[in-house]
Amino acid sequence: MKNPISRKVEYYKTLDAKDRRSFWIDGLLNNAIYIILVIFLIYTATRNSRLLSWAALVNLITLVAANLPMALGIGGCIILTGTDLSAGRVVGLSAALSAALLQGASTVNKYFEGLGEPGLGMVFLVLLIAMVIGGIVGLANGFFVARFQLHPFIVTLATQLIVYGGCLIFYNSNGNNGQPISGLSQVFRTFVTGSILPPIFGQTIPNYVLYAIIVFILMWFIWNKTTFGKNMFAVGSNPEAANVSGVNVFLTTTLVHTLAGITYGYTGFIDAARIMSNTASTGQNYESDAIAACVIGGVSFVGGTGTVGGVLLGVVLLRVIYVCLNYLSVDPNLQYIVKGAIILLACSIDMRKYLARK
Amino acid sequence: MKIKKILALLLACVMVFALAACSSGTDATEAPTTAATEAAGGEETAGAEETEATTPTAGTARVGVFYYAFSDAFIASVRDALDTALTGAGIDYQNFDANNSQATQNESITTALTDGYNILLVNLVDTASTDAASQIIEQAAAAGAQVVFFNRAVEGTDNEGVVLNAYDTVAFVGTDAPEAGHLQGQMIGNYLVENFDTVDLNGDGQISYAMFMGQVGNVEALYRTQYSVEDALVVLEENGYGSADEPALVYFDPNNTESYQADPNGAWSAGAATEYMQTNLSQYNEANGNMIELIICNNDNMAEGAIAALQAAGYNNGEGSTTIPVFGVDATESAKALIAAGTMTGTVEQSATGMADALLGMVQNIASGSTMDDAVTAVAASNADLYSVSEAVPNKLYVAYSAYTG
Repeated sequence: MKNPISRKVEYYKTLDAKDRRSFWIDGLLNNAIYIILVIFLIYTATRNSRLLSWAALVNLITLVAANLPMALGIGGCIILTGTDLSAGRVVGLSAALSAALLQGASTVNKYFEGLGEPGLGMVFLVLLIAMVIGGIVGLANGFFVARFQLHPFIVTLATQLIVYGGCLIFYNSNGNNGQPISGLSQVFRTFVTGSILPPIFGQTIPNYVLYAIIVFILMWFIWNKTTFGKNMFAVGSNPEAANVSGVNVFLTTTLVHTLAGITYGYTGFIDAARIMSNTASTGQNYESDAIAACVIGGVSFVGGTGTVGGVLLGVVLLRVIYVCLNYLSVDPNLQYIVKGAIILLACSIDMRKYLARK
Repeated sequence: MKIKKILALLLACVMVFALAACSSGTDATEAPTTAATEAAGGEETAGAEETEATTPTAGTARVGVFYYAFSDAFIASVRDALDTALTGAGIDYQNFDANNSQATQNESITTALTDGYNILLVNLVDTASTDAASQIIEQAAAAGAQVVFFNRAVEGTDNEGVVLNAYDTVAFVGTDAPEAGHLQGQMIGNYLVENFDTVDLNGDGQISYAMFMGQVGNVEALYRTQYSVEDALVVLEENGYGSADEPALVYFDPNNTESYQADPNGAWSAGAATEYMQTNLSQYNEANGNMIELIICNNDNMAEGAIAALQAAGYNNGEGSTTIPVFGVDATESAKALIAAGTMTGTVEQSATGMADALLGMVQNIASGSTMDDAVTAVAASNADLYSVSEAVPNKLYVAYSAYTG
């Protein structure tokens, strides 16, 4: 039994000088994202040593946990060569509903006057409602994509508008007058941002980090261990071939979008308590970061390729950029440019390995 | 194939007829407005120095209200109040949402002008240059319509009158943009003078503050960001705290030369403030002896977002926890509730109903034929406590701000 590293070393010994050079170059380029990540972290750490603290690490983890579920949902749509522009607005709607249903009893400007102080059961019920609402929008997306062979770009562009309209109406109904919905009940806030874990190195880790880990494991299982997951990749790489080999393309497409919708509903529920002040602009542009994270993490727009771990890596890279730019106190105007350049660079280098394979 | 094509053609015909049938009802209203447009065009060619546009009579006033974004909490309450006011006065009006895009707003205005709207109430999207406003005024004047800008400034204080004095078919109803910043600054200054030692957690004689800006390039945001600190410093210095060389109020991050963090989407959102604040707290905290001791936000939404991050870190949770003072602007219902609960410290109130009533007054005065300057004077006289006319520009009506600390 030889371990993979010694096998690699032996393989390397068989190569001639030219192959050895390309071996190193390929190796560097194929792992470019990790390398960029490390370089960026080292550079920031040399300029601001506070980056190497537990507080900084926990902050990064919580920021990742907030974005990960949605990126995993959208990842499925991208594997089907699609995309989802409705994500941010679904988050907005789900956040609005969750917040309105879980306001404290003593809140002055209550949305639903009749509701009393919610208990833990109510919190679970609202989580379910949020996920169902997200799921319904996702189902609609999936249905129109699969049934009418429309590109998801246009379908989700349309549903995004419809959901946003609904969201605006929601904020202006019930005498709410467009005011932000806040004054959330303690039980809801504790459920999301409280901590059942003891503090680690003096840092409390909010519960939504645990939930994100659960979502991550669930998605890993769905993508890798279920027939549905295998079908998703099959449909993504070649719908015709998948159809011929007995995969129900319609059902798979619809379910992938529904699953994505459920993750947006979940994200809205979490964000309602994480940010605590919900307006119609909550969730705006969330999808752009989520899509970027997927593509950075190797979920290709070509379809059929991507891993759950890759999406995680993409989200981490985007969040590392965010944290580092702030730790470096980069001029806000330059932050856009730096972020854009890094995304472009990371994706171009990453696409190389897929192009080489073809 | 052929049958399909014929079917499609038939369907298209049905749609055209249906559209024609729908629009036939508005033909009657369109006729007089096109006549008015022609009249206005004729007058303009007649004499440029005497650009007196046609003033619509009370009966034909058709009002288009162009909001910069329906999603903005304060704008939503203005919309609600204005809808009530206009409906109550029996005025024919229609709302438009620009969804934070000047291009969208211009398109709705162009369309509305061809549809015969003659009074435009415009909540401008692009406040960073005067071109957007000038373009709208000229376009409207060419169609014989008059424009009342509201809420968002059309010109900065350094170029006051550039737009508003140049045309007599335009007026402005809003707030004196720097006033919110001044009020916020004075409120912060006074609060710090009274509570300096409590706020100064590390006892170094300096308050380190964080500033969350709603939108880069927005006049309102710029003034709030600038004056809230400048005025607070003035109050502090007057009371013996700090000096010009060694200010008592310093930005928490010495490497950030801009001294603010802005919402990357320009949406004045709570989410942006939460994530910035959470990241800031990971390196600026009491354990490191450099805790952020004061938070200033351009609006209440961002203030609430910052409070969410503070609460997650164990601050501002009411009795038994340290409260970091947080200041906002807008006085939204939820911010008032937070102030009552003691988790937020102060905000600046802008009256949505006051704004709506002023706009209604303007519409009624314009519709009955008075000039813009007269309309502004009349509305200002109706409630001298709330309204005032700008000293430099006679067609600029200010709705007063007031400090709110519960």
